[in-house]
Amino acid sequence: MPDHDADTSSAPAAPRFEPDGGWVPADERLLGVDRRTIAPTLAVFLLVIVMSVVLPVINTRVPYHDIVRAGDVVELQDGVTFVPEAGWGITSGVRAGNAPLSGVYPATASVESRAVRFTVHTAPFDGDANKLLDQIVTTSEALNRGRGVRVASAHTTIVTDQGKQGAMARVTGPHSGGVIAAFVFNGRGVEAVATGPSDTGAEPTAAVFRMIRSIRAPGEGTR
Amino acid sequence: MTAPLADLDRARDSALDASGWGRRFTFYQPRNFAFWGYLALVGTGMFVAVSNVTSEYDAYSQAIALAITSFSIYAALFWWFTVHIDHYAKLPTKLMVVAFLWGGFAATWAMAAAANDAILALYAKSFGQTWALNWGAGLSAPFTEETAKGSGLLLLIALAPRQVRTAFDGFILGAFIGLGFQIIEDIAYAMTSAGSQFGANQIGASIGTIFLRMVSGVAAHIVYSAIFGAGLIYLLGRPAEPRRVGRGLLLVATPMLLHGTWDSVGAIAGSSALALIGLLVAVIVIALVITARVYELTVRREREFVREVMAPEEARNVITAAELDAMAGNRKARKAYRKTGRDRRERKRARWVLNAAYDLADELAAARGADTDRVRFARAEVGRIRAGVPAAW
Repeated sequence: MPDHDADTSSAPAAPRFEPDGGWVPADERLLGVDRRTIAPTLAVFLLVIVMSVVLPVINTRVPYHDIVRAGDVVELQDGVTFVPEAGWGITSGVRAGNAPLSGVYPATASVESRAVRFTVHTAPFDGDANKLLDQIVTTSEALNRGRGVRVASAHTTIVTDQGKQGAMARVTGPHSGGVIAAFVFNGRGVEAVATGPSDTGAEPTAAVFRMIRSIRAPGEGTR
Repeated sequence: MTAPLADLDRARDSALDASGWGRRFTFYQPRNFAFWGYLALVGTGMFVAVSNVTSEYDAYSQAIALAITSFSIYAALFWWFTVHIDHYAKLPTKLMVVAFLWGGFAATWAMAAAANDAILALYAKSFGQTWALNWGAGLSAPFTEETAKGSGLLLLIALAPRQVRTAFDGFILGAFIGLGFQIIEDIAYAMTSAGSQFGANQIGASIGTIFLRMVSGVAAHIVYSAIFGAGLIYLLGRPAEPRRVGRGLLLVATPMLLHGTWDSVGAIAGSSALALIGLLVAVIVIALVITARVYELTVRREREFVREVMAPEEARNVITAAELDAMAGNRKARKAYRKTGRDRRERKRARWVLNAAYDLADELAAARGADTDRVRFARAEVGRIRAGVPAAW
């Protein structure tokens, strides 16, 4: 049977001395710093610089070459489509017929021309176009907290080429302006946002309205 | 033939020196360059994370509150489990917290997030949007995220060279780094989902994401980083773990492959929901099986330490040979030892004796093998529980 009063004489009564965790041997100091810790830290910093500086800089210097050709159609989830303007660049989203292997189109697509950016996003929504526009404005203002772009007009009506009626509002910011349009197709909301410099000319503006009017969804009547 | 006590005590000292078991970890080390690097990167990551949450809080407060609450509970469960499996030569809790914070803030917001965005955009520019949607995530995140998390272990080794000594230490610290990464990433995903329906129906939009992330998280960042951490220690070598470059490279590459496969299952499965579910389950099962194998591979060294630290106690009749075997064995060995009890009471007492013996091992490690008051008390507790004497405290 084990006996806890058994011999313990060979064990020392006090722990062996060990220097504290911050102690650095005299022959390992470089300007007071533990030189053994310099190389691994620099290696990590090198990785950080590659990840958070080098790669983003390379990305900004590589231009987009995915230019819209006449007749291209961009498709989003649940068959929502729009016709991008020829000559604009596709910065996200895919053309109809080029679905990812999963078969599911992305929920968002963006095209750009110079400083003007046009983005379409779709998701389920319970309500009409005016309610959706209110929701978009509420969320946008909560995110911007009074900074950035703000809604500068009352809701107006816009009708797509498909005959779908939507709601629209102008937005303005310190140096930018644009429009937000909202449609609801059978429980599926579609938000189209165009932003660009305040002095954007008539041609890009007309192009934006053509793209908004080109928004379609399958099996949809007017409302 | 039992070795003389003095030899066993010397072997215990060597094991304690090699393992670092019981050594206290000091975080504040102004003369350690890694300390400043860690502070700078975790501080930057925390600033970005807090800025993101506060800037979106007014818009998505419901979803953010739900995500933080849900994932805090989830993190607590995984924290408990990971601490539970580290019951041999234990690491200091403070070191685990340091690892968790690296994964949660530095690896995510100071490193991987920017790199992922840039690489995905570069893929889209080079190979087209569809290709990037199919393969972009699977060919970016495994490299950026696994190296970002793994680099934290490199800093932890520089911060705690006397504590991080074995591949199993790398496995455990890697798991904590992965846990931190996963929780903060999950909260970010939930925030993105909250905005996916124009900011309406936030709870409905994010609850599915939260649930999916919880289920898939069982075999995601935590296990990837645990395997990577063990591999990194094999690759570098430590005082208690000889360098094994081949094994290290294999274990560093394995989580990258698992991660890449996981991020590409949508593209691999195609439009078949059945194939998608089958692939998801298969990847989870394979990841868990590999993790269990790596655990068994790395934990052997820790079990040897337990045996070497407690062998003098067996020689001094504080514990029995069967108890020493159970302590230095796996879960099955401990269960088999408990089952030797004739009735339920004896089996319960056997479990308590083992727990008290593990407490004694921890006290011996903290005392560097010396016969201190705390060690004598822990030793007496083993005897008291064995004798069935009620606790006086």
